[in-house]
Amino acid sequence: MNYNLFAREMRRNTASLIIWTVILTLFIAGTMSIYPVFLNNQSKIMGMLSIIPAEALEFKGISNIGDLLSVLGFYAVNNIIYMLVLGSVYSIVLSSNILLKEEYNKTAEYLLTRPLTRSEIFRSKLSVIFINIIVLNLVTSIVGFLSIVLVRKGTFSINAFLILSLYTLLLNMLFAAAGLFLSVVLKRPKPVTTFCIGLVIILYFVFTISKITESVAKIGYLTPFKYVDTNVIDPAYKLNPINMIYFIGFTLLLMAYSYRLYLRKDIYT
Amino acid sequence: MNEPIIDITDLSKFYGKARGIEKVNLEIGEGEVFGFIGPNGAGKSTTIRILMNLIFPTGGSARIMGLDVVRQTKEIKRKVGYIPSDANAYSYMDVEDFLNYLARFHDIPDAGIRITELSKLFELDLKRKISDLSSGNKKKVSIIQSLVHKPALLIMDEPTAGLDPLMQSVFFDLMRQENQKGTTIFFSSHILGEVQMFCRRVAIIKEGKIIQVEDIDTLRKKQLKKVFIEFGEPVNEITMSIPGVVSLATGPENALSFMFSGDINELTGFLSGRKINNLMIEEPSLDEIFMHYYQI
Repeated sequence: MNYNLFAREMRRNTASLIIWTVILTLFIAGTMSIYPVFLNNQSKIMGMLSIIPAEALEFKGISNIGDLLSVLGFYAVNNIIYMLVLGSVYSIVLSSNILLKEEYNKTAEYLLTRPLTRSEIFRSKLSVIFINIIVLNLVTSIVGFLSIVLVRKGTFSINAFLILSLYTLLLNMLFAAAGLFLSVVLKRPKPVTTFCIGLVIILYFVFTISKITESVAKIGYLTPFKYVDTNVIDPAYKLNPINMIYFIGFTLLLMAYSYRLYLRKDIYT
Repeated sequence: MNEPIIDITDLSKFYGKARGIEKVNLEIGEGEVFGFIGPNGAGKSTTIRILMNLIFPTGGSARIMGLDVVRQTKEIKRKVGYIPSDANAYSYMDVEDFLNYLARFHDIPDAGIRITELSKLFELDLKRKISDLSSGNKKKVSIIQSLVHKPALLIMDEPTAGLDPLMQSVFFDLMRQENQKGTTIFFSSHILGEVQMFCRRVAIIKEGKIIQVEDIDTLRKKQLKKVFIEFGEPVNEITMSIPGVVSLATGPENALSFMFSGDINELTGFLSGRKINNLMIEEPSLDEIFMHYYQI
């Protein structure tokens, strides 16, 4: 890794990290602040929710409205939208641009003609991706945890909370690996931000459709969201080894292949 | 020649079936000022981009200072300065930040002094934001960054594009000084005049192939001029009977145009007794030179 490059990339991405972190933590904290009101008016709200079509609720991540009564269930439902979807958007946009922007901004002509190996460039930028995503997840998880502690009426499983946070981090990392892969397979450099945002949203949409439409239930397995277990109120909730292998395996595979491609990539500006 | 500082052997680059360069061979000695000339799309930038390991060859090999450009690129880049033909600096930085950032990769202690010296020479304000710079000033940044680490070899791809004539003069003076200190210069351009003026040896590339490598003096002897004469008398009564006239064409009206490679005194002598309304003698385009001397 090259410290000069790493430090510049960290500085360059700081503003974006702060903005995303602040927005997501405000969303999470703001939504959790509604929980006491929800509990105090649960019969009215449950009545209102019961007339909303199941499909619409499913898209919001609500499989069972009873889950919302539990503080962790309430958190998980919101976490799906904010951290699983928006966190993944942040991750894939960050990773897809970090190498590619040097090409389409025509700065690669300077960076890649310094005494650096491609490997050092890749590893420096990958470290920035890791750190940014970990910081985003860490801060939002801490804020989420504190919000739960502040609004809860009873106990909740810290273990379940940590597992859900880990799933979120792993999903974000998988999307980051996908973004990195996309950026190195492109022969001609061009911005891919819109495509990446669209990819996350479409995959989430496909996942939702697979949940509410039995005939296409299996297509859910084509999306990484399927492998995130959000059923936190299940007493048997635990890390699923197959899901772990899926996330870690695909992430490492995509990153390793991206690394290999980048070492031999023709750089055009 | 001692061991060449740049040694290119059968270097090829194909983009699928499309030709980039094909079996390019070049040897450039230490301390040379070597011109690399050809029309746009001839393969100059492709060759240079392989040397800088921005793209990978599909055949052949290239070595700089005995080091392989693919496998030992990091070592090479410590000793090479590169001026790209088309590149952008980080727009959110100011000039000084950008130059210092690039200099830190070379780990040189006196980078700040060198940056200040060079920026004064090129009258470049170090505090200006990159995004506010004109294309000429961006080119100055590019030139300065290539020199900060005092490279043994300078590879320049169209380095004068965007510079005004005064700055071009400053640039060439500086390059001559660097060369006198021992820096080898590999100078790519599509402008024949500046290559003739600056370089001692030249390689001409056309359609991806080196078609000629020769001393600049030899090239000068082959100097070709494009001549247009508008006579004040019927042109069909005039016979261009002097040696060196090729591609003679008549019209419009009493005008003649041709390429001339002969003695210019003979031409002026021939014209002296005739009535002439207009006379233009200009440097032909590279394509026109290639058409006459380098048809392959």
